[in-house]
Amino acid sequence: MSQDKSPRFLLSANELSKSFGGIKAVNNAKISVNRGSITGLIGPNGAGKTTLFNLLSNFIRPDRGEVIFDGKPIHHLQSYQIAQQGCIRTFQVARVLSKLSVLENMLLATQKQTGENFFRVWFQQKSVRQEERENKERAMAILESVGLIEKAHDYAGALSGGQRKLLEMARTLMTNPKLILLDEPAAGVNPTLIERICKHILTWNQQGISFLIIEHNMDVIMSLCHHVWVLAEGTNLADGTPQEIQNNPQVLEAYLGD
Amino acid sequence: MVGYLVFLTISTALFALFALGLNLQWGFTGLINFGHVAFMTVGAYTTVLLSSQGVPLVIAVIIGAAIASLLGLAIGMSTLRLREDYLAIITIGVSELLRLIALNEEWLTKGAFGVQRYPLPLAGFEPNLIGKIIMIGLLTFIAIFTVWQLWRGMRNRWREGKSIKGKSIQPRKRIGLIIWSVIALALILTVYVNGVIAISNYYNYKVGLMLIVLLVLTAIYWGLELLVHSPWGRVLKSIREDEEIPRALGKNVFWYKLQALMLGGAIAGIAGAFYAWQLTSVYPANFEPLVTFNAWTIVVLGGAGNNAGTLLGAVIFWAYDVLTREYLPYLGILNPTQLGPLRIMVIGLILMLLMVWRPQGILGKKEELTLGR
Ligand SMILES: Nc1ncnc2c1ncn2[C@@H]1O[C@H](COP(=O)(O)OP(=O)(O)OP(=O)(O)O)[C@@H](O)[C@H]1O
Ligand SMILES: [Mg+2]
Repeated sequence: MSQDKSPRFLLSANELSKSFGGIKAVNNAKISVNRGSITGLIGPNGAGKTTLFNLLSNFIRPDRGEVIFDGKPIHHLQSYQIAQQGCIRTFQVARVLSKLSVLENMLLATQKQTGENFFRVWFQQKSVRQEERENKERAMAILESVGLIEKAHDYAGALSGGQRKLLEMARTLMTNPKLILLDEPAAGVNPTLIERICKHILTWNQQGISFLIIEHNMDVIMSLCHHVWVLAEGTNLADGTPQEIQNNPQVLEAYLGD
Repeated sequence: MVGYLVFLTISTALFALFALGLNLQWGFTGLINFGHVAFMTVGAYTTVLLSSQGVPLVIAVIIGAAIASLLGLAIGMSTLRLREDYLAIITIGVSELLRLIALNEEWLTKGAFGVQRYPLPLAGFEPNLIGKIIMIGLLTFIAIFTVWQLWRGMRNRWREGKSIKGKSIQPRKRIGLIIWSVIALALILTVYVNGVIAISNYYNYKVGLMLIVLLVLTAIYWGLELLVHSPWGRVLKSIREDEEIPRALGKNVFWYKLQALMLGGAIAGIAGAFYAWQLTSVYPANFEPLVTFNAWTIVVLGGAGNNAGTLLGAVIFWAYDVLTREYLPYLGILNPTQLGPLRIMVIGLILMLLMVWRPQGILGKKEELTLGR
């Protein structure tokens, strides 16, 4: 799916800054994600990676800076509007609605549902039900592909940590996103599941979805990413291909220092 | 006895309606509204004042509900962007403010003298045989609908018991289910038979009011059941649990909260109109914070986020109210001035015990409380 006219970057952010009291969590940082790419974001603990995600998705309002997504500025939008544009984030500690079923978690994510308008729930019952059936099928197909199908009718709260991560990813897929921001998809997940998660990410990427992935697991970064950004103490340290980053002395120092 | 049961049915139904509004706001969306009576005040006063000026009753009620929902909009706009405790505080304040306005703005509300002699629905209506048959038909329809709802709810619960994996079926739960069904059936039957007798032999204004409030309750209950099982209701439930998730998935959380507040407010406004018709004269003292507390009791008792539970809660609440009001004085232990506070104290005690042993309420799902985040 090459789009010639559109700019090369699906997402680009410049001069992003955010301080919490005295701490400059993100300081004049920039980042960009090429269309159709899997881009990595690494950095030592406390480097400001999660905060950067929060700024990109406007879960936290930046002090300064601009964010362009799909050719349009989005930093003035509300976080739900950013999600509606197709830029969906996940959370470092997977967040699922534990009191809803796994299937309901999936269905919630569907965009532009007729049944989200209460007048239509009353007066267009038929099309609401029809649509719900279709969404269920789609949700079940995605759950099947990630291996959560047996859990579809269980409470999401009954899932293990790794399964929650999977559900969270599967859920973002229900939104038909252009870009998925993954915050440490492999953290606290057993090695076999990590492998499966990586495979899914590659498959979805081939279907045209771009990824920006925060990860401490270097194997994951090296095997998935086309391009990697390094953040340290809130500022850009380096960026380049995984090989370049691996051999960058500054990066090694940032990780080994402190 | 027939007349008394009619009175009880009206009270229960209108409080069920009132509490359904709170259940939508708090039970499903997690909005802490400690001033629910404010919506009722607005609905009641708007309806009686407008209809006194000659506005048709139906239109007066609709305007009352609309203004109540606008009140929800105003409260929501000013507090929903802040932390959730602000809503709790502001709602208490607004409800007291409205009561004080009703008390002091005598040109509008006649203050403490109250509003009297306002039009009542079906006031001069004397049904002939055909009229009575139609009324009994409507009552029958409501009864059948209720039994059908009961059957559906029980069937779902029954199956749920089976489908829980890994755990064996808990027989005690099923016995509980059967007991509750029998109680509910007996209740429906009592109200129905009493209603039929009242319509055919003892028709008066209250009987007509009972029929109307039951019809409205049925319609609103059904509308709410559709809503909470729809994608719309799913968004509300997701907000209740963790609003960051729907936000990250592109839902306008603020707008959904506003809708819940407004819709719940409108329902409470309608309940307010029935409250006024039941009382036949309204005073500011009818809208004390205690009324909000009663709605909370009903919702918590029945199980938050469960409309059928709210109905059950309203029944239990009124049963308790009547039994203690009628029979406690016979014990002769306490004088009347002590009894009033005691009855409320006991409700507090029951709520505390409920929180310890069955925090999910009677019909709530235990899993929903115990599941980890
Ligand atoms: N809401 C907040 N309030 C105050 N300080 C914060 C807040 N969020 C983050 N910080 C601080 O900002 C800095 C960057 O935190 P952030 O969570 O973005 O790091 P990170 O790169 O994601 O780290 P990790 O790899 O451990 O997840 C830290 O010093 C953190 O304590
Ligand atoms: Mg982080």
